[in-house]
Amino acid sequence: MAEPLLQATGLSKSFGSVQALEDIDVTLHEGTIHGIVGPNGAGKTTLLSVMSGYLLPNAGTVQLRGRDITGLTPQRRVPLGVVRTFQNIRLFGGLSVLENVMIGQHAHARTGLSSLLPFRTASDRRLLAEAKDTLELFDLARYGKRPVSQLPYGVQKQLEMARAMATRPKVLLLDEPAAGMTTEGRGQLSTRIRRLRDEGVSVVIVEHDMDVIAKVCDEVTVLNFGRRIMHGEPLEVLSSAEVRTAYLGT
Amino acid sequence: MSAFTEAVLIQTGINVLLALGYWIAVSTGKYSFGHAAFMAIGAYGSSILTLKMGWPLPLALIAGAVVSAVAGALVGWIALRLSMLYLAIITLVFSELLITLLNQWDYVGGGSGLLGMTGTTVTMVLICVVLVVAYLILLTRSRMGLAYEAIREDERAAMGSGVKITLVAVGAFATSAAVTGIAGGLAAHQQLIINPGLYGPQQSLIIILFCVFGGVQYFWGAAIGAIVLGLLPIYFNGLADWYQIIYGLLFVVLMIVRPQGLIGRSRAGIFPVGLSLRRAAPEPEPRVREEESVG
Repeated sequence: MAEPLLQATGLSKSFGSVQALEDIDVTLHEGTIHGIVGPNGAGKTTLLSVMSGYLLPNAGTVQLRGRDITGLTPQRRVPLGVVRTFQNIRLFGGLSVLENVMIGQHAHARTGLSSLLPFRTASDRRLLAEAKDTLELFDLARYGKRPVSQLPYGVQKQLEMARAMATRPKVLLLDEPAAGMTTEGRGQLSTRIRRLRDEGVSVVIVEHDMDVIAKVCDEVTVLNFGRRIMHGEPLEVLSSAEVRTAYLGT
Repeated sequence: MSAFTEAVLIQTGINVLLALGYWIAVSTGKYSFGHAAFMAIGAYGSSILTLKMGWPLPLALIAGAVVSAVAGALVGWIALRLSMLYLAIITLVFSELLITLLNQWDYVGGGSGLLGMTGTTVTMVLICVVLVVAYLILLTRSRMGLAYEAIREDERAAMGSGVKITLVAVGAFATSAAVTGIAGGLAAHQQLIINPGLYGPQQSLIIILFCVFGGVQYFWGAAIGAIVLGLLPIYFNGLADWYQIIYGLLFVVLMIVRPQGLIGRSRAGIFPVGLSLRRAAPEPEPRVREEESVG
């Protein structure tokens, strides 16, 4: 098999006496969607935070195409193509949808003193057009200049994904994108995530909604109490007795 | 123009520069509680150059601003990666340290300070104000300004969008210190005499109040705050002892009626001290906090 795109090896992380992750391996292959499931407190978000650079692991490495990125901050991973979303939405609440997406382009745009010059270069215009396209793609263009903190929850979730896409990621790390969505919204979300994969973005998705997991994932890793208890294809994993026990208790 | 009008114009211009300079740091959501230190650096730096080295004032002002910017970058680099509370403490301590140092330094006259600086003109102040305003207009329309706002709104989200938050915030803080340093230099060369006591917490507070009074959402709000508050003591000096009381009452009323300041939309999160403190203080350093412990 080809070299994995993102590989987490032997990750451990503890908070005080709580072992949030223990010797976790996750491999994301290019062009695939990898689901992370598990009961509350299993360590899913911690895993995502370690992979995106928000947390340093106590042990283990994260590699992007063979390059060790374990110690890089999120702002250094973004230009390499690794970006995440948050379980509890984190937008720039006072800014507009367009401004939020433009901040997502930060790593690709002129942002130093030269960005102060009162004229736009060709690349500035291209980026602005790209930002507007992204808004169209996520059906957000109609929200105009309103501060995004005033927009409905579902729209904010869309915007967070749009902003993440504006960074031009190779690896998109989604933390519970379906939480709080309507059934219809979840359907659209599944379609959208698959379309992103078809366009060449590889996805790691933490999700509680098993419908979404079953629909979009190529591979699934199950965590429980910080350990990997299973790994495989979605149907196989979701129907296994061990996973059912972990979720339902014994 | 009468000498009085001239003095009032210069004073007002300097106040506006102080407010605008402070606003640059505030636009990234960072509140310094020792900005008078950068005034002191600009004032002493330029005064040493004009008095002792015979430099022309404009050059001395620029040099003072550069030194001030370097100091701002150093303080910012130490303090800006920490939460708001630590930034407040570090900036305050920095200004106190600087005053102590100046008090002990015989070369600049110790506690009695320096004497004999002149040369600040209305034109000079006006040019500085115009340049800073032009810079701010360009800044607030640029992607750099957008990055400032991103940091103010949510640092963690900004990191996750590829904004190098420390670098950007330190840049803003250094620019802010430079403008404040110029204002300090201009003031020194108007008032003839400077001493360390002028740059204590009282002066830092005045700068903060300019911004809070005018509103921090737009830079011209801060400028208007500086103009109004700066003129009050000049035209209401008949109030004598009552002045401080009325000044205090004014702020109490403002906080209740218009917490966002004179200028600006009312919005949760824009009001600086109260809300930002509450939001920033309980959070430990960025790389070790996560929602997972509860979820």
